Amino acid sequence: MQLNGSEIIAECLIEQGVDTVFGYPGGAVLNIYDALYKYSDRITHILSAHEQGAAHAADGYARTTGKCGVVIATSGPGATNLVTGIATAYMDSVPMVAITGNVTNDLLARDSFQEVDITGITLPVTKHNFIVKNVKDLANVIRKAFRIAMSGRKGPVLIDIPKDVTGAVCEFTPEVPQEIVNPLFSGQADFEAAAKAVNAAKRPMIYMGGGVVSADAEQQLLAFAEKIDCPVATSIMGLGGFPASHRLFIGTIGMHGGYETGKATDNCDLIITVGARFSDRVAGDRKKFGKNATIIQLDIDKAEINKNVLIDYSLVGDVKDTLARLTEAVDEVKHDEWIAQMNEWAKKGSVTETPASEEYAHPYHIIDLVRSLTKDDDIIVTDVGQHQMWVSQKYRFEQPRRWCTSGGLGTMGYGLGAAVGAAVANPDKRVVLFTGDGSFHMNLNEMATVRSYDLPIIVVVLNNKVLGMVRQWQKLFYGRRFSQTDPHRKTDFAAAAEAFGIKGMKIHNDSDAEEVLKTAFALNEPVVIDCSISPDENVLPMIPPGKTVDDMITEME
Amino acid sequence: MENKQIIGILAHNHPGVLLRITSLISRRGFNIDSLTASPSGIEGYSRLTVRMSGDDAQVEQFINQLLKIVDVKKAEVLPEESSIAMELILIKVTSDTQNKNDIIALTSTYHASLVNLGEHSLTFRASGTPSQIDSLIAQLAPFGILEMARTGIASLANGDKILELD
Repeated sequence: MQLNGSEIIAECLIEQGVDTVFGYPGGAVLNIYDALYKYSDRITHILSAHEQGAAHAADGYARTTGKCGVVIATSGPGATNLVTGIATAYMDSVPMVAITGNVTNDLLARDSFQEVDITGITLPVTKHNFIVKNVKDLANVIRKAFRIAMSGRKGPVLIDIPKDVTGAVCEFTPEVPQEIVNPLFSGQADFEAAAKAVNAAKRPMIYMGGGVVSADAEQQLLAFAEKIDCPVATSIMGLGGFPASHRLFIGTIGMHGGYETGKATDNCDLIITVGARFSDRVAGDRKKFGKNATIIQLDIDKAEINKNVLIDYSLVGDVKDTLARLTEAVDEVKHDEWIAQMNEWAKKGSVTETPASEEYAHPYHIIDLVRSLTKDDDIIVTDVGQHQMWVSQKYRFEQPRRWCTSGGLGTMGYGLGAAVGAAVANPDKRVVLFTGDGSFHMNLNEMATVRSYDLPIIVVVLNNKVLGMVRQWQKLFYGRRFSQTDPHRKTDFAAAAEAFGIKGMKIHNDSDAEEVLKTAFALNEPVVIDCSISPDENVLPMIPPGKTVDDMITEME
Repeated sequence: MENKQIIGILAHNHPGVLLRITSLISRRGFNIDSLTASPSGIEGYSRLTVRMSGDDAQVEQFINQLLKIVDVKKAEVLPEESSIAMELILIKVTSDTQNKNDIIALTSTYHASLVNLGEHSLTFRASGTPSQIDSLIAQLAPFGILEMARTGIASLANGDKILELD
């Protein structure tokens, strides 16, 4: 059939199973939005307040569904506004297709109005990108983009389309997308060698990451960990990939991970890394990380092998496959003594009880309260900073894809957009956004979107009136010189929410917290809760950058 | 072990493929001293040759990162002991009537050919391994090198072995 470029885009999206896109219209995408008008019965478009919010929403949508997120923006500033969202997705391997309009072919490269070289700009933060100069290439480029985004190590792909291409007509033939099968790069000998190392281990630990969640390999990981009776530590990205209530779960690893995971890393004789990348926030000192251990790494991305930490055995392929094969190849064992040691460390490292305060609410109390009001399959989103680390430490994640956080890029302002995407994708689930006053200030404009679509998101602003994480570093490493981290802002977030048409509430201290939260959860509408916490609360324990558990800070004034 | 390694690459000759490769080299801090690109003889593919300095892990990492570029279809080390690696140089040397024959005699030992004569200069073309070319430059330096242009390294495996698409 003869279709114009914009209709081809819509048809290709439908072909790929896309029923929801996020975006913001503009001059260069007028044709595309005209097609979206026509296809509005089959493709729901969610309009954000700012393109960055739309990109984060596509990200939240992808993380909580496992599907590919789609975001559309116009040329120039529309496209550049996506960049932070695309980079966030890239660092966390979130599948996304970003479609940008550009000026017409004859205006390209002439510094035309709202022209920008977005493929050049996004080259280092996409898996691949395209500019489609001929409508005949459009359908196949879109198909290829989805395939790239969803295969291997997932990630964002950008398609830049000049305006004339979106209006030009050509023949379109529908195609059924091919199933994606990720090849296995390791052979039988690799599995045997790795299994031998597993069987020889007396004190093994699993260090898992977001790859387990991305590959939907939580069942395989559980089976493997149980068969070899092995403690499981996770990166922030892996939370939910292994149930927090499981006896083998020992918590997060790294800069703000627990004492027991740090001790386990230093004292184990084998680390089995699954879908994780030894980032500097996990392996602070990459030369000393797991210094007494043999390291096995299971990853889909061959370039992760020996990138940061030199490893002994690698199994390259989809971790769902490699875990299953390795599980078959290993002996069933028990590590009672080692597990007992884990529990000893956990007792030693457990956070001391925080007494209830009349002056402030304690972040741990708030997180515990929220946990008691949410189900295991409800969704928790965060922004970036202290609140993010507190949630990662304290919230007990039981299921995968119920957690959205910017782990790699550390994007303040990520949360509200991502919460919108998560809420759109999961209308029957509760979505709670934990944010800080710093992060929330960055993109609170998306409250407009929350209201427009009546998304019953509960926003908990852990408001310490300071830029807490940076301030904590200034306390530790910069002689308490609080340069630009005490902004003395007077924002009343509850009142701001009301101005957007959203219910605003306040928590003043530990005494009123429970009642306010219960009231908020009883409503089925968007709520912003401005929750007053102490500016002097720190994220502990902390391993300083470049150090190991031996340098762990457990107390600060 | 820190050493120099030559990597042969086959990539789709799509617009921007060279940029993707150089951008990777730049943002991941790989240390390269030569990069050449040319048609490969395979329809639609370019052949690139990179010489980099680095230990084995860095070379492995470079190849693995290269293979993540969608347009890169093949990237392999061409080991020094089992490959031919050569480059070409054009070099212009200051010359007067007195030293002209000395220079020509010297360059002939490098199989360099005199390709252009100026009023006060001689231009030679030579090809050889990078170390032969370095040596030629060192020998000519005392005469005064006005300018030179090197093509960068081209490399093929010895014998019947070829870099081919899977």
